[in-house]
Amino acid sequence: MSDIAIAALLAGTILVASTISVEVGLSVALIELLLGVIVGNAFHLDVPTWLAFLGSFAGIVLTFQAGAEVDVPQFRREWRASLSIGLVSFLAPFAVVATVCYYALDWNHRQAEIGGLALSTTSLAVVYAVLVETGLNRELVGKRLMSATFVTDIATVAGLTVLFVKPTVWAIPFVLVSVALIVGLPLASPWFFRRYGDRVIEPEIKLVFASLFLLMWLGSRANSQAALPAFILGLVMSGHYVRHRKEQERMRVVAFAFLTPFFFLKGGMSVSAGALWANLGILALLFVAKMVPKFGAVYPLARRYTAPHATFTTLLMSTGLTFGTITSLYGLNAGIIDRTQFSLLIAVVVLSAIVPTAIAQRFFQPHAEPREASGVRPVAPMSPSQTPVREGAGS
Amino acid sequence: MPFERILVAIDGSEASDRAFAKALELVEVTAARLTALAIEGPLPAYAATVGEVDEVKREKDQFFNALAARSREQAEKAGVELTVELRAGHAAEVISDFAAGGGFDLVVLGHRGHFLRDHLLGSTADRVAENAPCPVMIVR
Repeated sequence: MSDIAIAALLAGTILVASTISVEVGLSVALIELLLGVIVGNAFHLDVPTWLAFLGSFAGIVLTFQAGAEVDVPQFRREWRASLSIGLVSFLAPFAVVATVCYYALDWNHRQAEIGGLALSTTSLAVVYAVLVETGLNRELVGKRLMSATFVTDIATVAGLTVLFVKPTVWAIPFVLVSVALIVGLPLASPWFFRRYGDRVIEPEIKLVFASLFLLMWLGSRANSQAALPAFILGLVMSGHYVRHRKEQERMRVVAFAFLTPFFFLKGGMSVSAGALWANLGILALLFVAKMVPKFGAVYPLARRYTAPHATFTTLLMSTGLTFGTITSLYGLNAGIIDRTQFSLLIAVVVLSAIVPTAIAQRFFQPHAEPREASGVRPVAPMSPSQTPVREGAGS
Repeated sequence: MPFERILVAIDGSEASDRAFAKALELVEVTAARLTALAIEGPLPAYAATVGEVDEVKREKDQFFNALAARSREQAEKAGVELTVELRAGHAAEVISDFAAGGGFDLVVLGHRGHFLRDHLLGSTADRVAENAPCPVMIVR
C-alpha cells in the first residue's frame, strides 16, 4: 500500500475513532489504540517512516503536555504526603516486573527495564478524570492522589531518559540546551507571547515545537531520550498556561487533531494480535506483576495518608496508559524490545487503564460533597446569547 | 395537596424542555416546590491526557451553567421559585437516588432526549420509572 493510501486509511480511522469516542464516552486515545490494532492486523500494515516520525514527535508533545498539566502549587502543598506513595508506586512494580521479565520470561536486562518502566506508570489522566467526575479533586484525598501520580510519572520519564543513556560527547550540548530551555523559555515566553502571540499563525506553538524538536535531535545524538527535559519544560511552562488558558487550548487542538491520533494509531498498529493470542499466559503474568506490587507497596502508605480511601487510592495508582505506551514505543523504536514484547506490554497497559479504574469506581468510590448549579464556576467566558442546545449524544 | 415537592430532570434536549414546561404548569396548579436536577454525564473514560478531560469538563460546565440560567429565567417568568441542582453520574441512578433522598413526591422527565451515555432518554425514563420511590411523569 502506498504512503498516501495509508495516510488516507489512517485519516479515516482517526475520524471514526473520534465519532466512536463521542458516542460511547470512551477516551479517543483508547479507541485510536484499539482501531490501530484492528487496522494494522487486518491490512497487515507496516508502520511507514512518516508515521514513525510523527508518532515519535507526538509522544514528546504528549510528555510536554503531561508536564504542563501538573498543578504545581497543589503539588508544593501536598508533596510530603505524596512523595512516598508516588515513589513506591513507581519503584515496586518496576522492580517486580523487571525481575519477572528477566528471570521468568528470559528477556535481556534492557528489555526487562523497558518492561519495568512501562508497567510502573500511573495514568495522571485516568486518575484525573475519575476525581473530576466525582468532585474528589477538590478534596484532600484527590489532591494527594494527583500529586502522588505526578511523582510516579516523573520517576518514569527520568528512568526512560537515564536508564538507556549511552553517553557520547553530544550529552553535553543535550544537557546544556535542556537546562537553557527549561530556564529560558518561561522567562522569554511572556515577552514572546505578548509580541507574537494571539495570531492565527501561532508563533507560540511553533516556539514550543521548535524547542521540542531541538531536544529530540540532541537527545538522539546523545543516545538518550528527550522525555525528561520535555516533561520538565512542560512543568516550568505550566504556570504560563494557567495564566493563558487560550494558548493551552490551541496547543491541545493542534495535538488532538493531528499529532496524538498518529501516536496512538502507531502504537495500535505495532501490536500483533497473533502474538497476544499466543501468549495469554504471559499477558496475565505481566498484569499480575504490575498489580500485586502496586497493591503491596501503595496500600500501606495509602492507609496512612489517604484513609479511609486507601483501596480507592491504591486502585487508581495502579492505572496506566500514556507513559506506558510512550515507554513501550520507545523500546520498540530503539530496537530494545521486539513486536511480541511490545504487544504484551501495550495490552497490559490498556488493561491497567480499564480494570483497576472500573473496580475503583464500582466498589470503592468515595462520594464528594455535591454542588449546586448556581455554584458552578464557568471556566471560560460565555456570551450572554449562548443558550444550551443539545445536539445529540454529545457529552 | 396532591404534590408538595416536584423534581424535574433537565438536560437541554427538546424532550427535557417539554418536561420542564409541564413541571412549571403543574407547580402553578399545585403550588408545589420545584427542583430541577441537571446531570452531568461521565467524562471520557480511561482518558490518555488531562487535556481531553479538561476540555470536555469545560464544555459541560459551560453548557450546564447556561442551562441552569435559562431554567431559572423561565421559572421566574412563570412566577415559580426554582432550585437547580447539578449532579454527576449516570442519569437514571442519580435521578432515582436524588428523588429518594430529597423526599420528592413526583418526578417529571422527558422521553427520547439524549442523556449522555444512555443514548436514549427512553431507557433512562424506564429505569427511573422502575426505581423511583414516587410517581413518575414521563412527558412526550
